Amino acid sequence: MIAFVLRRLAQLLPVLLGASALIFAMMYAVPGGPVGVLVGENATAEQIEAVTKQFGLDRPIIVQYGDWLLRALGGDLGLSLHSREPVLKLITERLPATLQLAALATVIGLALGIPIALGSALAQGSWLDRALSGWSALALGVPTFWVGILLILLFAVELRLLPAASGYVPFWSDPVQAVRNTILPALTLGLYVSGIFARFLRGSLIGELNSDYVRTARSKGLKERTIVVRHVMRNALLPFITIVGIALAGFIGGTVVTESVFTYPGLGRLVIQAISTRDYPLIQGAILVILLIYVLINLAVDVLYVYIDPRIDFQ
Amino acid sequence: MSGMLVSARHVAQRVFAQPAAAVALAWLAALAVAAILAPLLGLDPLAQDLVRMLEGLSRDYPFGTDELGRDILARAVYGARTSLVTAAGAVTLAASIGVPMGLVAGFFGGWRDAVLMRIVDLLLALPGIMLALALIAVLGRSQAAALVAVGLTGVPTFARVARAQVLSLRRRDFVTAVEAFGGTPAYSLTRTILPNSWSPILTQMVVLSSVAILLEAALAFLGVGIPPPTPSWGEMLRTGKEYLYEAPTYAVLPGLVLTVTILAFDTIGRALSSVLEGRDAPLARPVESP
Repeated sequence: MIAFVLRRLAQLLPVLLGASALIFAMMYAVPGGPVGVLVGENATAEQIEAVTKQFGLDRPIIVQYGDWLLRALGGDLGLSLHSREPVLKLITERLPATLQLAALATVIGLALGIPIALGSALAQGSWLDRALSGWSALALGVPTFWVGILLILLFAVELRLLPAASGYVPFWSDPVQAVRNTILPALTLGLYVSGIFARFLRGSLIGELNSDYVRTARSKGLKERTIVVRHVMRNALLPFITIVGIALAGFIGGTVVTESVFTYPGLGRLVIQAISTRDYPLIQGAILVILLIYVLINLAVDVLYVYIDPRIDFQ
Repeated sequence: MSGMLVSARHVAQRVFAQPAAAVALAWLAALAVAAILAPLLGLDPLAQDLVRMLEGLSRDYPFGTDELGRDILARAVYGARTSLVTAAGAVTLAASIGVPMGLVAGFFGGWRDAVLMRIVDLLLALPGIMLALALIAVLGRSQAAALVAVGLTGVPTFARVARAQVLSLRRRDFVTAVEAFGGTPAYSLTRTILPNSWSPILTQMVVLSSVAILLEAALAFLGVGIPPPTPSWGEMLRTGKEYLYEAPTYAVLPGLVLTVTILAFDTIGRALSSVLEGRDAPLARPVESP
C-alpha cells in the first residue's frame, strides 16, 4: 500500500510542479510584470531599481522560481500587498470557516441524498423514481447563487428567522450561533450536492439490487428490508464514499460563489477580494494552497477507495 | 449505434419527440429570437427612467426597474445575448482545443499521450471556478477573458471524450483497413475516426453549454465577469441581491430566466444522450458547485 501511495505521489509530481510554475508565472503575465505589481504604476526609476534589487528580480527566472518554490514549501508565501500581513496567516485564518461550511453542507447533502437515492432505487421506474430523479436534475441545474438569494428572501427577509449575511462563528465556541450563521450557505451547497449524491448512489444501488447475491438472498426468503440494509447498502456505499470525498475536495475553494452570496468569510471570498485589489502574492498563495489541498484530498480518496474495496489491489 | 448510419434529422425527431426536450427547445428558440430581435422589439437595456427606480412589476415594466431606473426585462433579454454568445464561444473554444488533443493522444499513444494527458491533469488540478478565477486574475476583466476562462475549463471533458472514442474505434475493422491500405494518421483521424465520434462530442457540447452559461453567470455574479454596462444575468443577480428588501423581483426574475435556460440545455443534453448513446448523460457538471 505504501508503494501504491508513493507511486501516485510520483504521478502527481509533474502536475504539481507544472501548476506551481504556472502560478509563479502569473506575476510575469500581468501588465507591468512583478515589478509593476510591487511598486504600482507611478513608480520612479529609482524605486523600480530598488525593488528589482531587493526582491532579486534581476536573477534568471528559473532561479527566481526555484527560490519562490523552496520558500513556499517552507511556508513562506510572502506578504499581502494590501494588508502587509503574511499570506499564509491570512489563508489559515480563513480555512476554518470554509471547512465548517463544507462539513455542514456535506452532512445536509447526505441527509437529503441517501433517502432520495434509496426511495428511487427501491421503486425503480415508478412515478416516485421519476420524481426523485427530477429532483437530482433540478438540484444540479439551478445555480447556487440563485438558490442562496431565494433562501435569503425566505428566511431572512420574509420570516426574519436567520441573518441575511453570515458571519463565521466557530462551532466549538457557540454551537447555536454557529449553526444559525452557517445553515443558509450550507443548505445552498447541501441542496446542490444532494443531487450528485442521490444520482450516484441510485446508480450503484440499482447495480447491487440486480446482482446475483440479492437474487439468492430473496430466494432463500430474507426480508427485503434485511437485504437492503445488511447487504445492498453496504456494498453500494463503497464507491459512494469516493463521491463524498470528491465533493469535499471540491468544497475547498469551490465554494466561492456561495460564500459571496452570504458574505461568508471563507477562503473563496479571500480569493475574490485578492483579485479585486490585485493582491497578486495573496492570489498566488491562496491558489497554491487550494491546489495542494484539492489534489491531496483527491489522492486520499483514491487510496481510500482501493483500501476499502478488497476486490481492487494495489497493482 | 454507428454515428454515420443515423441521419441528423432522424436524431432530431427522436430527441424532440420527448416532451421535455421539445419544451426546452421551444424556450431556447424563443430566447434566441428575442435576443436577436431585441432592438426591433423596442427594448432598451440602457435607457433610464429616473422617476421610476426599483419598481416592482408593472404594465410599462413587466419585470420592474433597477436601481438606475432601467427596464429589467430589456436587460434580461440583452443579457441572453451576452450569455448565449459567450457560452457558444466558450464551448467552441473548448471543443476546438480539447477534441484535437484527445484525438492525437488516443491515436498515437506514447509520449504524446503522456504529455497531453498531463496537460489535462493540470487543468483539472483546481476546481473549475478557481481555474477560471486564476485566468481572469492574469488576463484582467473583459468579455474575451470570461470566454477564454470558461472555455479552458471545458477542454478536459472534450479531450477525454475524444481520446476514449479513438481508443474504442481504433480496433474496428474500417479503421484498421484504412491503415492497412496505407492511410496516413491524419487521413485516419479526419476521415474515419472523427466522423464516427460526433455523437458523444455533440452531446458534450450541449451539456457543456449549460455549464458555460452557469460559469459565465457565476463570474459576473462575483464581479469579475463581463464588465458593466453590458447587461449580463450574473451581474443583474449581483446588483439585485443588494436590493432584496426594496425590490425582491429584481434578483429573482433574471435568476429564473438563467435557471430555465440552464435546465433547458441540460434537458436537451440528456435527451440527446439517451437517443445517441442509449444511456443517461454522464455527469458533466463539476462536482463542486460553481
